[in-house]
Amino acid sequence: MKEHTFLEIINPVKDKMYRMALRLLTSKEAAEDATQEVILKLWNRKEKIKSYANVEAFAMTVTKNYCLDQLKLKQNSNLRIVHQNYESKHISLQTEIEVNDEMQWLGRIVASLPEQQKMIFQLRDIEQYDYEEIAKIMDMKQTAIRVNLSRARKAIREKLIKKHNYGIR
Amino acid sequence: MELGKIERLLDRYDEGETSIAEEKLLREYFLSEDVPEHLRSYQLMFRFSASQAEEKLENKPKVVSKRNWYSWTSIAAILIVALGIFFYNDSSRMLNDNGLGTISDEELALQKTKETLHMVAQIMNEGKSDLVYLKEFNNTKNKIIQID
Repeated sequence: MKEHTFLEIINPVKDKMYRMALRLLTSKEAAEDATQEVILKLWNRKEKIKSYANVEAFAMTVTKNYCLDQLKLKQNSNLRIVHQNYESKHISLQTEIEVNDEMQWLGRIVASLPEQQKMIFQLRDIEQYDYEEIAKIMDMKQTAIRVNLSRARKAIREKLIKKHNYGIR
Repeated sequence: MELGKIERLLDRYDEGETSIAEEKLLREYFLSEDVPEHLRSYQLMFRFSASQAEEKLENKPKVVSKRNWYSWTSIAAILIVALGIFFYNDSSRMLNDNGLGTISDEELALQKTKETLHMVAQIMNEGKSDLVYLKEFNNTKNKIIQID
């Protein structure tokens, strides 16, 4: 396979791969590295790539697995930074802006979901894959995916409402 | 779209039962219109999903940066060559102007050259005479290591 054909396959998927990596790894740099690593992996097995029925799903699966591996590695070798909600009576302008920024709050809510729900939410609501493809990428049954997705959606909304009411009432 | 239909779709959305097409309807509704207060949280969620889908892998392929690097080095090279030519001309002119006391009389020139070479030879000989001791090295070495 030539570089050109490979790029034609990868280009439409690479942003999705990056977003998936970003959802799991949080840091932009780490997500960029992960995407590059995965593309390199795919390039190395470029001869086989045509034999896969759905290259996009395959690429997403590799990304998912790579990121989960990275997370495991980090947990083993580093201290885990546990997010603490330190109460501060003196609210700085910075945090005030952050609190008001609902998109950022949603990002944090999504980040707090279990990894599986996070991934399925990413695939369905952000990338808009259909259930069949998600089942392929996640290697799960479609019913299990629906259950996880439903849990994720409900959890996000619940936390969002809680947060909203907290400010008002 | 009427509110009742949206609410029915949302119930199914919460259960993960909506199809891609139905979710598209919901997305369009929530991204375009003003929504009632009790549906605000859904609107935020759809907005969030839409905003997240715009995130792009930004880093350019390395080839581009390399090309960039080449262009900078070529600019630097051109500058160096240009400045080099400029200064070279300048300094050669300065040398000519000074005149380094070139001797025009041939006899005298020969004399001077001879003197100079003689001096060099003399210094060389002086230096060489100090190296006679080096022979001792070989003498000692031959006592220890015998090469046949």
